[in-house]
Amino acid sequence: MAVLREETHTEEAARGSRRPAGGGASALPPAVPSPRARSHWPKRAELLLLIGPALLVFLAFVILPVVLAAYYGFFSWSGYGAATDFVGLRNYITILTDPAFLEALSHNAFIVVMSLVLQGPLALGIALLLNRKLRFQSLIRVLIFVPYVISEVVVGLGWSLMLQSNGALNGLLEKVGLGGLATDWLSDPSAAIWTLLVIITWKYVGFAVILFLAGLQGIPDEITEAARIDGASYWQVQRYIVLPLMGPTVRIWAFLSIIGSLQLFDLVWIVWGQYVAGTAGTSTMATYMVANGRNSGSYGYGNAVAVVIFLISLVVALLYQRFILRRDSAVTTTGGAH
Amino acid sequence: MRLTKFVAGSAAILVGALALSGCSAGSSDSADGKVTLTMWHNSTTGDGKKYWDDTAAAFEKANPNVTVEIQSVQNEEMDGKLQTALNSGDAPDIFMARGGGKLADVVKAGQAMDLTSGLTDATKTAVGNSLSAFEIDGKNYGVPTAVLPSGFFYSSDLLTQAGITDTPKTIDDLEAADEKLKAAGIAPIAVGAKDAWPAAHWYYNFALRACSQDVLNEAATSRNFDDDCWLKAGENLESFIKTEPFNDGFLTTAAQQGAGSSAGLIANKQAAMELMGAWDPGVIASLTPDEKPLADLKWFPFPEVPGGDGEAGAMMGGVDGFTCWVNAPKECVDFLNFTAEKANQEAYATAFQTLPASTEAQSSVTDPALKDVLAAYNDAPYVSVWLDTLYGQNVGNALNVAVVDMFAGKGDAQSIVDAVNAAAAKS
Repeated sequence: MAVLREETHTEEAARGSRRPAGGGASALPPAVPSPRARSHWPKRAELLLLIGPALLVFLAFVILPVVLAAYYGFFSWSGYGAATDFVGLRNYITILTDPAFLEALSHNAFIVVMSLVLQGPLALGIALLLNRKLRFQSLIRVLIFVPYVISEVVVGLGWSLMLQSNGALNGLLEKVGLGGLATDWLSDPSAAIWTLLVIITWKYVGFAVILFLAGLQGIPDEITEAARIDGASYWQVQRYIVLPLMGPTVRIWAFLSIIGSLQLFDLVWIVWGQYVAGTAGTSTMATYMVANGRNSGSYGYGNAVAVVIFLISLVVALLYQRFILRRDSAVTTTGGAH
Repeated sequence: MRLTKFVAGSAAILVGALALSGCSAGSSDSADGKVTLTMWHNSTTGDGKKYWDDTAAAFEKANPNVTVEIQSVQNEEMDGKLQTALNSGDAPDIFMARGGGKLADVVKAGQAMDLTSGLTDATKTAVGNSLSAFEIDGKNYGVPTAVLPSGFFYSSDLLTQAGITDTPKTIDDLEAADEKLKAAGIAPIAVGAKDAWPAAHWYYNFALRACSQDVLNEAATSRNFDDDCWLKAGENLESFIKTEPFNDGFLTTAAQQGAGSSAGLIANKQAAMELMGAWDPGVIASLTPDEKPLADLKWFPFPEVPGGDGEAGAMMGGVDGFTCWVNAPKECVDFLNFTAEKANQEAYATAFQTLPASTEAQSSVTDPALKDVLAAYNDAPYVSVWLDTLYGQNVGNALNVAVVDMFAGKGDAQSIVDAVNAAAAKS
């Protein structure tokens, strides 16, 4: 995220610096040093006042913890007092050779891919549907967005109650004569990760729909109208006009979804508890971190896991920026230049 | 002008923030002799919570200069929350402790107060042997409130219904009883494996039967499972799990929250028995439909397992107690002495429906199940502390998770031993 913002800034800066060099500045009368330009101090003080507090908070609560985590990651530290037992890279070697961590990592990777595959088309379909005139349109929009607004804890508790082996879902299946389908949705390792995906999809598809709807509304009616006058069918309009124009929105959504999937913690923690996620095959890197860090009183190790998660997320974010989001910024820049 | 105002405003906010943080930074003796004690315990509902409120009020009445601020922390949150608080330098003055390696870690970090000279003779006599759970290197770091040996709490009606007349004496008896219960359509044993420790208690008890007392205690310092008995215990547990004695969906069953928890299943007669510590009657009572004690609740000890090094009749269990933070006011130890007094211990036993640590107060136990626990406890050749408590948080957590894996069919006896031996690398 930070990287994304940074790039936008530099882009703006580049455009900004180009502007005075163009027509704008040269049209002005020859530069006379204004009273403002002569003393920079009030301006600087203002900048310092406006940026200072935010910068301080950012440094203290974002940068410093990251640096500290990197520092503690090199120690065997039980969390009390100062860390003194330096162990070098031992924590990192243990993490990367621990089958439980590699399993958690593979679950994260699976969730990243499946979230995109399941939520993307579904959300796009719903968004296209809701973009047409429909009865109860706003009601449906609200209903689809509601799960996203409900807190993860409530969602997790609700689903875990429904999905227990003697819970509502199995009860329903038996009542309608499909008792053979009833299974242990939460602790059967072959079912649990799919259960998690269903919950995640239900919870987050609303967010994708809202994003896509906003994207759809940004597409000028003139374009679709022109296409229709040229004889394009509804599906042709969607396929050749709407979808390509939705590209930037979809790519941003996918970015948010990937980062969210990599850092997934709360839903798993609530539904599977502190211990069973690994057994059921739904552990994520974040649940591994808390289970083996805080819960084991091994804070040095936990910090090392945090650093590994941070690096993985960072690399993924940078690669995504470099190879996928760059297209969007390139389009905007050229669009602006012409 | 505006700048001056801004600076002045920021300064005011800063001063305010400092004042606030000053307020929250623990408690200590102030100039006027007023003392505030903060206390964390784990009873979030009912009579147990009320007991601590009442006891604190009684202590305040006897010591007008002292205010006791009580906070109840959900049990599963306690360890992590306490560690964070201790590390932040703003810990509660009095906090719950269960001895063993966990307390030793706190002591080693210099966070617990040495109570050796502060404890009165009356306290020492009253709580007797259970005090040793809080002894580290010859010094005392806590006062016990309850002794909590484990065993099987069961609904005698359900066992009768299944045609079981005698309580199981050996593990074979237990397996036979399970079969009878299953044949009668009753889930034999409830276990809250979602919380890990209830499943782990099974392994601890098999280890208690397989390993000698010396091996159990040596592992507390070596934190290593090299003796063959650890493997034997795992194999015994594995073959027992293969008989499928547990309730459906036990992996996502919690221990003691709500009707769907293992204690809730016993309270609502959805399962016949569970292996649990002596706090169970109180928990079950809070989960029955009328929130009254379960009338047919009875108890038998963990069955003997042939071929082990453990002495017959030995028990696995815990001691609940309280410790003073190293920076707590001196009134902290007075409060602990106060809780060990006979009347308070009797009230404790009644409120929690459990066994008081004070031997003087044990006559107040009337519940038939608890009376059986008490008799077995007094006859036991030795009582081992829960292994996760004994071996500290790091090894304890790894052990518990490995046992859950075995319950899920994901690991064997060797993987439990490996997990414990590997845990040290993550510390």
